Amino acid sequence: MRGRSIAARRLGFLAAALAIAALPMVLTGNYWQTNLTICAINVLLALGLDFILGYAGQLNLGQSAFYGLGAYVSVLLVMKWGVPFWVAFAGGVMFSGCAGMILALFAVRLRGHYLAIASLGFAVITYQILLNWISLTQGPLGIYAIPPPPAIALPGLPVIDFHNPTALFYLVAGFTLLVYFLLDQIVRSPIGETLTAIREDDVSAASLGINAAAWKTFAFGIGAAVGGAAGCFYGSFVGTLVPDAFFITESFTILSMVIVGGMGTLTGPVCGAILLTLLPELLREIGDLRLVVYGAALTLVVLFMPGGLVQAARAVRAKLGDLRGSTR
Amino acid sequence: MKAVAAQQGDHGRAGRPVLLSARGLHKSFGGVHAVRDISFDIPTGAVFAIIGPNGAGKSTLLNLMSGVYRCDAGSLAFDGTDMSALPAHRRVRLGIARTFQKIRLFKQLSVLDNVVAGFHIHHHIPAWQYLVHGPAFRRDHARCRAEAVALLAFVGLAARGDAIAGSLSYGEQRMLEFARALATKPRLLLVDEPAAGLNAAEVESLLDRIRTTRDKGVTVVVVEHNMDLVMNVADRVFVMDYGQQLFEGKPGDVQRNPAVVAAYLGGELM
Amino acid sequence: MATIVAQQAINGIVLGSLYVLVALGLTLIYGVLVQINFAHADFVTLGAFSAYFFMHALGGSYLASIGVALLVGATLGWLVNVAIFAPLQRKGSELLPLIATIGVSVMLQNAMLAWFGPVPYAFETPYSARVFRVAGTFFTLQSIIIIVVSTVTIALLYAFMKLTFLGKALRAVSQDRETAGLMGINPNRLIMLTFVLASALAGMGGAMLAPVLVLTPFAGASVIVKAFAIVIIGGFGNVEGTILAGLLVGLIESFTTQYLDPGLIDIVVFGLLLLMLALRPTGLVSEKREENV
Repeated sequence: MRGRSIAARRLGFLAAALAIAALPMVLTGNYWQTNLTICAINVLLALGLDFILGYAGQLNLGQSAFYGLGAYVSVLLVMKWGVPFWVAFAGGVMFSGCAGMILALFAVRLRGHYLAIASLGFAVITYQILLNWISLTQGPLGIYAIPPPPAIALPGLPVIDFHNPTALFYLVAGFTLLVYFLLDQIVRSPIGETLTAIREDDVSAASLGINAAAWKTFAFGIGAAVGGAAGCFYGSFVGTLVPDAFFITESFTILSMVIVGGMGTLTGPVCGAILLTLLPELLREIGDLRLVVYGAALTLVVLFMPGGLVQAARAVRAKLGDLRGSTR
Repeated sequence: MKAVAAQQGDHGRAGRPVLLSARGLHKSFGGVHAVRDISFDIPTGAVFAIIGPNGAGKSTLLNLMSGVYRCDAGSLAFDGTDMSALPAHRRVRLGIARTFQKIRLFKQLSVLDNVVAGFHIHHHIPAWQYLVHGPAFRRDHARCRAEAVALLAFVGLAARGDAIAGSLSYGEQRMLEFARALATKPRLLLVDEPAAGLNAAEVESLLDRIRTTRDKGVTVVVVEHNMDLVMNVADRVFVMDYGQQLFEGKPGDVQRNPAVVAAYLGGELM
Repeated sequence: MATIVAQQAINGIVLGSLYVLVALGLTLIYGVLVQINFAHADFVTLGAFSAYFFMHALGGSYLASIGVALLVGATLGWLVNVAIFAPLQRKGSELLPLIATIGVSVMLQNAMLAWFGPVPYAFETPYSARVFRVAGTFFTLQSIIIIVVSTVTIALLYAFMKLTFLGKALRAVSQDRETAGLMGINPNRLIMLTFVLASALAGMGGAMLAPVLVLTPFAGASVIVKAFAIVIIGGFGNVEGTILAGLLVGLIESFTTQYLDPGLIDIVVFGLLLLMLALRPTGLVSEKREENV
């Protein structure tokens, strides 16, 4: 969205909001209701990872851990200790955010590959804890009968009941749009410039007064919190929670979405998440080979179009501009 | 931050207050003494040149001053306050900026964005306006861009604002780094081997900018190994070799000093 | 009590020597290219599966199947270098090759899952049935073979690195690629050689691990996390450190299984890894260096 005027961007948001509102009415049926919500959850996960990876330049392979922590903390708060849903939601988000900042402690001292492995280790340890701390999480047996968010009764309006999948979709998608808006504002502010500076060159960023350690911690905290929010929605959406949903392969899936979509942009993760969520579903025959497709997409994109779909779109637009004979 | 009493109101030989003073700096890398027992006072508003043959330890000294390296021993005081323990990014807030010997621009960003990045410590935006851009945000945004454009004009890059930094010529990149450092509004600017890789015209242009910067009240430290260059612009000269001090004084006196001559034997001195 | 300790020690050394084989491959690649091949684990798995099918479908001998696995590994290493690392070297990005190999790893693992299924394969060799009993401890002929083959391989590799010209050239390239190039060494050929060698080791490790561990498409993945831990504890690019760390991790795992829940092994090993990264990221044996500005 670089270079577009404020008015154009506001129109873009409005269009997106309208599209979200219209989708469940156009794409009806159980199949779409489920997949649209999964799309929204994946978009959240991808946005969170991209903030850390694409903007701050930190290779974080631990996003699955934040996803899982958000889910388990919020669900346990509701089901074991009777905490109201939205308080538990906030709890899950904050817990994940803090976990992210703990991982950041490694990020500030380690370069590229070491951080990748440390974050992977973090993800493995988190998964194993979720799997083995049976007294708390019920381990592989899982937690069942998780209720959706409580109905909202606003004066003068019909009650919004989240047992209705469409209502739940609007909630998740609406939240995602809000997160997108806030992240967009952040990356267009001096904070975005700061993160980019850190990504490009730590040392010269320090020579401009940038406290790289503090800002990396910030990026991890936000990215992890957003991932945690996705986890909080996941629990009430799916209704059951098993540790396997947060195995380290999730981290790779989310990574694929960010890279294929275009890292370092906000539209990239959105496109990547939507594409990689819906595409394998549309190509039903491949079913089991869904992950093979993700892996192949990731490798091919890195090799031939590292900027992902966003880079491809820009290239197409530039070509069209050339064809029309207009000069820039 | 402890005030170092001896430097309080101290006046250097030039009669001006001391901005940065170093006492007994030591730095080794795995047994190699890059900097050995270095002490000096940098007067405010001067161009202070640190010169010496290749490998003398000049860049290490600069890195110690800017905070990239920590001293093994010794102390550094800026305007009377001890900054030996301050990390690099904190020193920028004190008013110290620098350029790098190997250019470290944000190559993927535009020329303008590189300079704007330098305003990091000078934003006045309430926290909530980072989430929802309000009037203070827009004012700050406009102000930064205007000042960045002015800085680009100062270094002769006004027309290149939208170009990607990596696409600039080597000489242009050096000027851009200079502009970016100035964006932090420093009181002390450390310039590391600015002439490396520049042609004669570019060097002259750069020295001119350094003089103008000094005239605007910024103290400049220039690290160089080319003597002639330095003679044209320096107010005081500090000569190093093998990590140790050889001489400190006026440019005219440097050329007459036998130790300096010996160090530069066969070099660019006469 | 002493016999239990001795038993676990033997198991630990067996496991450890296999981990060393796998980890050595990673450390060699990092030493020469400063990159990680994330798919290294899957070379281990594919090595194991090729050995399995060579034995059970083609009726080959176990020892020959180790050779097959070695070849499969070598071929895969060549492919990954040609297709991914060589082309991406020009782009000069630190993280892109790693991400690309993550993609390869995901592809390979799930392709294997689709072809071979998730049910573990029983990799029986005639040697796993022959059990010896010495002073109250049990070990199979398989374990002896593992220790012997690993030790010989590691010793040969060590000798290669220290004594032969190629080995020294390899070390030269890891320390300073430009200068090595100026001295007439072709870094690209050496990188290719390293890849082939490292991946061959992985394949071989897989063939020997399969009878000891559970053979599923995820066999390699369970090893790789420990291999990473080993390489980091030993120090990336540091051969001696990797060998020590590999044996250490093998021993830790074996004692953990005896006294603690098996599910906790990963936590212990990775916890150790994170501790290591927090305190001494460059490894047990190497020095800390400040960045050259």
